[in-house]
Amino acid sequence: MKSPHWDPHLASALDDLREVEGHVKAPPRVEAAVLAAWDRTHAARTVSPSRQRWQRVAAVAAALTISLGLAQLGRALQQTVRTPALEANSNDTLLLVGEPILRGEPVRVVRMRIPASTLVGLGVRAGSGVAQVDVDVIVGEDGVARAIRVGM
Amino acid sequence: MRGAQRATAGDPADADLMRRTAQGDRDAFALLYRRHHAIVYRFARLMTGSISAAEDIVQEVFLVVMRDAGRYDATRAALTTYLYGVARHQTRRRLARDRHFVAFDGDGSEACPPVDDDPAAMIERRESVQQLRRAIVSLPRKYREVIVLCDLQDVTYADAAAVLGCAIGTIRSRLYRARHLLGQKMAGAGASDEDRQRLAMRCAV
Repeated sequence: MKSPHWDPHLASALDDLREVEGHVKAPPRVEAAVLAAWDRTHAARTVSPSRQRWQRVAAVAAALTISLGLAQLGRALQQTVRTPALEANSNDTLLLVGEPILRGEPVRVVRMRIPASTLVGLGVRAGSGVAQVDVDVIVGEDGVARAIRVGM
Repeated sequence: MRGAQRATAGDPADADLMRRTAQGDRDAFALLYRRHHAIVYRFARLMTGSISAAEDIVQEVFLVVMRDAGRYDATRAALTTYLYGVARHQTRRRLARDRHFVAFDGDGSEACPPVDDDPAAMIERRESVQQLRRAIVSLPRKYREVIVLCDLQDVTYADAAAVLGCAIGTIRSRLYRARHLLGQKMAGAGASDEDRQRLAMRCAV
């Protein structure tokens, strides 16, 4: 179209290249890839109204089921936490090792087996000849131990 | 830009095809692709010097069309201008990503000037075209863009200015500079012209 007149060699080469390029097209595989992308995108978008309705119903049902399950799990955990306290007897020693446990504060009880010598450091003397002692560590919601219950 | 808007009977306008594409009409999208993919492909091929990069860029451009067809405003620019703009952006990204690589994976043998009766002349023209391709790819990007658009894709100065987002005067000055640089590169590469002539003579015998 606008060949530079000041350089005939360049003008001629540009004309040749333009002529060559004028016939060049992307190979068919490119069109196939583009249309495949279209199909993928639109297949994901085109969901029939009835299917959408059922998907919503299924989502609500799943949410309800999960809520109920979580509620049950929460109740079970609360009972798990309360049980050791209910089972505590007068022979146990409760060592407060951190902040006091507030009324209604959710706690976890972790049963551990520790060397009897560790208890000495806490001021509790285990029976003679006992190497390992089972203790319940009461852990607050923040993960910090609040108390250790030692059963004698 | 030539052929930008076609609205003859049975040949819907680009704006109409874009509107239908935005509404999810696959046939309209396919027609848009078939109508315009070649200019995008050629632009990308000349800009990158790579066939595989050009194929990727064509895909990227039409994925953008597929996604953003609803945002195209036919009153602001012809579709070809819009496509060149998207292609330019995708090409820049590709060149930035591949800046550590220098490649020309197309030897041009799949597309050479029409065969002359004179094989020597044919070989010389083919060499010249290859030399020009290499020279174009080695130009700074802003000069390459104007050479590809204005001298090889027949885009008007006004449309090139719209694509590149600059004034028409800038296009003119860049084109002048680009042609000057190309001429220098071609002359430098032409130092081996005598060898080429000898090769052409051998083939002609």
